[in-house]
Amino acid sequence: MSDQPKLGRGRLSRRTFLRAAGVTGAAALGPAVLRRRAEAQETPSPVRPDPAAKRGGTLRYAVHNAPAHFDVHQSGTVANIGPQSPMYDCLIRRDPKDGQAIIPDLAWKWDISPDGKKYTFYLRKGVKFHDGADFTADDVKATYERIVRPPKGVVIPRSSLFTTVGDIVVVDPLKIEFRLTEARPKAFMLGSFASGWNIIVRKKTLEENQGNLRQVMNFPGTGPYKHVSRRDKEIWIMEKNPNYWNKGLPLLDKLEIYHMMPFSPELGSSFLSGKIDYARLMDPVSWRKAKEMPNVTAAAFNQSVIQAFWMNMKKKPLADPRVRRAIHLAMDRPTLVEVVKDTAPMQIGGFVYPFHEMSTPKAELVKRLGYQTDMKPAVQEARRLMQEAGYGQGIKGLDFVVRDIQTFKLWAVAIQAMLKEHINIETNLRTVQTSVWFDEAAAGNFDLAISAIVSSLMDPSDYFTAWYGANGPQNYSGWNNEQFQALAKQIERELDDTKRKAMVRKAEDILEQDPPLIPISYEQIYDAYYNKVKGQNPSTFFGIYDVCRWDNVWLAQS
Amino acid sequence: MRKYLARRALFALGTLVGVSLIIFIVLRILPGDPLVAILGVEGHARMTPADRVRIMQDLGLSDPLPVQYVHWLRDIATGKLGKSFFRGDTVAELILHRGPISAEIGLLALIVSWLVGLPVGIVSAIKPNSWADNVARSLAILFIAIPGFWLSMLIVLALLFWFGYKAPLIIVHFWESPWQNLQIVIGPAIVLGLAQGAYIARMSRSCLLEVIGEDYVRTARAKGAQERHVVLGHALPNALLPVITISGVLLGFVLGGSVAVEQAFGVPGLGRSLVTALIERDIIVVQNLVLLYAVIFVLVNFFVDLSYAWLDPRIRYA
Repeated sequence: MSDQPKLGRGRLSRRTFLRAAGVTGAAALGPAVLRRRAEAQETPSPVRPDPAAKRGGTLRYAVHNAPAHFDVHQSGTVANIGPQSPMYDCLIRRDPKDGQAIIPDLAWKWDISPDGKKYTFYLRKGVKFHDGADFTADDVKATYERIVRPPKGVVIPRSSLFTTVGDIVVVDPLKIEFRLTEARPKAFMLGSFASGWNIIVRKKTLEENQGNLRQVMNFPGTGPYKHVSRRDKEIWIMEKNPNYWNKGLPLLDKLEIYHMMPFSPELGSSFLSGKIDYARLMDPVSWRKAKEMPNVTAAAFNQSVIQAFWMNMKKKPLADPRVRRAIHLAMDRPTLVEVVKDTAPMQIGGFVYPFHEMSTPKAELVKRLGYQTDMKPAVQEARRLMQEAGYGQGIKGLDFVVRDIQTFKLWAVAIQAMLKEHINIETNLRTVQTSVWFDEAAAGNFDLAISAIVSSLMDPSDYFTAWYGANGPQNYSGWNNEQFQALAKQIERELDDTKRKAMVRKAEDILEQDPPLIPISYEQIYDAYYNKVKGQNPSTFFGIYDVCRWDNVWLAQS
Repeated sequence: MRKYLARRALFALGTLVGVSLIIFIVLRILPGDPLVAILGVEGHARMTPADRVRIMQDLGLSDPLPVQYVHWLRDIATGKLGKSFFRGDTVAELILHRGPISAEIGLLALIVSWLVGLPVGIVSAIKPNSWADNVARSLAILFIAIPGFWLSMLIVLALLFWFGYKAPLIIVHFWESPWQNLQIVIGPAIVLGLAQGAYIARMSRSCLLEVIGEDYVRTARAKGAQERHVVLGHALPNALLPVITISGVLLGFVLGGSVAVEQAFGVPGLGRSLVTALIERDIIVVQNLVLLYAVIFVLVNFFVDLSYAWLDPRIRYA
């Protein structure tokens, strides 16, 4: 018997071989082919028009609308994002339904590698900029290269969110990879990509303007509305983008965005008189009036701003953590919130956003020394600490620099009285214009200095570095605590949410004992709108920077 | 006359050069960094020294001061008046768009001040220390004492809460819609006009009282002329000269007052632009607007001087 294979029946003929090879090959390649087909099948945007929605009409919206420049990436103020956001899209975004969930935008899908070091975004086909150009991965790369590594003379506050982004690789015109040098928590990275500030700009636009769009008013976006006209400090008019990629949106024909300063009586009176349909950042007095109106919704929601005062660590008494803790405990926070109740809406909080899942819950916080309504125990402890630090008789002549804004002026007087009454610290108030305040703070020409600072994300890893980091840009106190810095680094790298939460709580404890600043309160936003405005529910939003595109908003009556 | 005009024009030019130098220097020694407003608080905090150098160069603020001053003069000569630090708008565009609204407010305020002040002054002078005079004088003092911005806020609130009314939110020029335009300018014009009218009433009363006691007025009465003719035909023209002088000065107050009143009424005029530019440390806008106000003030006073000769033929210019 030969071991040779036999030809004929039962033997492997050439045809059988080729067929078998074909089937095998198809079996092997099939899933890949099918997968590719599935990938090509873009999922539509989760932002769909309300089936009951009426189309057409003009929304008259009022918001701070006098930006110092037009470069959204370089900005940190609502004066840019408020009026400009409707003209642009991001890679991914926060769901306008609740302002919380992260959903697709220009990227219809994304993958994160198991080691958390590679984020791949799949981009929508057929998206066009307002000037008719095709949107491709090159535009995303140009946008993010600029955000991550801004050119000289370009300052982008969100660069710090992407410090671990190494290479940005265009895989094909509709696929782009972000390769991280070190993994970061998913929530942090996705939150960073979904930040409303990170609008996608055309590569060509950036090249034509040497990477600086400060003086380019109408650079093309892919957003639901297109620029029509703008009058400085008056009005910005936009019209519906008929070629918007998200078919069926936007629902409005036109947006009239009026310039009104936040908390101004002018904004309040314009809304109450019916000259505008939607008012953002209303003063509490007008907002309360609006709330009483039958056809109006008055919404309050959290904002990403901490109101605080800093203590110059280079000044001897303030370098002592016991003195700073005593100052922290001497603050009657419920009263401080009350003092400004007619000027700006505020809520009590500590060193971490009080409404964030990782911070000490409010119910627990208000039982803590320094946050209680009954000041006696806190004041007693403050006095003990001052005694222990050798300042039982108090401190005289501290220079208290006050930013020339109504809330800070009101608070400064109240804080001055609290410091004097509770721990015998005497301060001299020095009110200065905003730009002078920042000069003085940066130069360290102060003992105490009151102002407010903002963050892009609610995630502590964003602001722990900026506010409390040893060289943080907003660490005006010049504070440093090695234990905290080491913990902050661990929090940045920890991918397990439960472990992270425990670490954030530990960090809070350190900050309570060795305060880098004295938190006064956290800002809230008051919006009001006539009930004919539908599709907008800001009550669960975090801040005013992520959800302000108006693509799913409609008017019940034009 | 020509010599006089030339001399006055030279003085006016000297005054304006002086104003331009003062405002230029003051704005550059004022504390405060315009980059805070340009980059925002967060951007400013993250700016590196190299970024600062680059941005200051872009804004033209790295040049030596004399060079910056010459650049400004060049911009004035070309009519562009320079570019705002923010958004890149030219100051000339700003003035062309907002200037007409502020000019209307100023002009209307002047008319209101005369329409209110002069009759009140005449009534007070004809019947001094009567109840009408007392009421008029009390009201005059009241309107001088009340701050314009406060009265403006009261008017805005009263219109809102009693009538649910608010003036148009954006500039509507007279030639676009006279009715809407009037709604924008009338409030500030009345507030500013009433305050200036109070000065005019006081001034016209005292001048008229003085003139009424003159020999030629007594002669007119002795000739049997009607009291109305005596006051309006003989006394008033001679009493008006100081009132016209003070009107020129008052226009300065109107310009100054319009800054706060425009702000209170929410009128986007030049006064409001000046306030915003000061807050933003947009020195290019501030220096041009202050210079514009100075030019207007100098010109008005120049024409007031010229009008003396027309009103009083005894005055001749040497």
